[in-house]
Amino acid sequence: MDLYQSLVTVNPVTLIAQICNLFIQLFLAKKLFLDKVKAILDQRREAADKEITTAQAARAEAEEIKQTYEQNMREARAKADDLLMNAQRTANARSEEIIGQAQQAAAQIKQKAASDIEMEKKKAINDAKNEISGLALAIAGKVVARELNTADQEQMIDRFIDELGGAV
Amino acid sequence: MDVSINGARILGSITIPGLGSFPITQTLTAALLVMVIITAVLAWLATGLKVSGISRKQAVAEMLYTAIVNFVRGNMGPNFDIYIPLVFAIFASSVVSNLISLLGIWSPTADLMTELAWGLVVFVLITYHKIKASGIKEYLRSFLDPIPVLLPINIMSECFTPVSMACRHFGNILSGTVISALVYAALVAGNNALFGILGSSLYVAAIVAVVGVALFLVGKKLGKKLFLVLGVIAAILGICAIFTCLGVDYPWLTIGIPAIPSLYFDWFGGCIQAFIFCTLTTLFIKQAAGD
Repeated sequence: MDLYQSLVTVNPVTLIAQICNLFIQLFLAKKLFLDKVKAILDQRREAADKEITTAQAARAEAEEIKQTYEQNMREARAKADDLLMNAQRTANARSEEIIGQAQQAAAQIKQKAASDIEMEKKKAINDAKNEISGLALAIAGKVVARELNTADQEQMIDRFIDELGGAV
Repeated sequence: MDVSINGARILGSITIPGLGSFPITQTLTAALLVMVIITAVLAWLATGLKVSGISRKQAVAEMLYTAIVNFVRGNMGPNFDIYIPLVFAIFASSVVSNLISLLGIWSPTADLMTELAWGLVVFVLITYHKIKASGIKEYLRSFLDPIPVLLPINIMSECFTPVSMACRHFGNILSGTVISALVYAALVAGNNALFGILGSSLYVAAIVAVVGVALFLVGKKLGKKLFLVLGVIAAILGICAIFTCLGVDYPWLTIGIPAIPSLYFDWFGGCIQAFIFCTLTTLFIKQAAGD
């Protein structure tokens, strides 16, 4: 037959042992479970915090890069506009210069041509004068058959030609 | 028949010189077993912890940890994190001790000394916080409030805090044990009476079994649930009676039926008492510490 304690009894040995057991249990649970899980949760929180900080830094950096890029773009566009305008101005100036030069050249050519024509005309007239005077001499010599001195001859011929020219 | 409900079985005794002899009981071995179980489970849960990509096991461990931390912080505020291990140890010990009786092992919490041990620890903490909060002089003077005549009553009320905590828990667990024993005894008695009639002759048993099977078949054909249930009960009783007639003397009614009160007294009562004990622990300490 087993021996049993009565249902409600004070047993100091059990009491003290159970107090000790509670503390042992507390210690074991803390060392083996609570501390470990706490450490891991803390680590996770730290990791999350770090992630957030890193993400924020990255975002700020990206923002900065974007701003720099936009500014560069703006500058580049302004520069391009400048270049285009310069080029246009240069082109305009150049074209005007070329046109001016061409007009000048054309005027010079025209002038030269006019003077040439004038000269040719004079030459032709002189030639014709000489020719006509020769002919007239010959004709006069034959018709009059009289000798004239050179001076009179010349004078006469010139008058003749002038009259002729006036008639022409 | 006699129903005897005993305390813990005495395994031996220890003699302390000058104080006498004290029995070593089942409570201590069961408490050791409980500790081993808790420690093993917790140590297993806390192995292979990772920061990310956690396993299901770790999720359980973290849930458990978060639950106990939230419980303590919810009841005591953020300044008493130091008591998380204590509350956790009490809660785990209490739950496992209460539920271990389901395995047929003596529950350490069915021994008043276990709860008294926890209650005394809590009492020491309460007193420490009271003295810390108001100073030793003020603490002693508070026993004379509101009039000095009430000194004995104040002392009693102070001392009964751990006793009441312990007795509340112990009483609930004990009531479960007592009810279980009574139900079991009643079922054995009922079993004897019932099978005394049914098992008196093989014919009666066979008739009951046949009637049960017939009722079951009719119920199935007509689709009536009442017939079906009655048929199953009668058939099972009949078959058990036939076995009894053939000499297999077993208290058939004690199979399955005691699980129904056990659901409340062991499972629900066990868990709720652990919770109440921990709630009181936290609240008393918080109250003693003031704001």
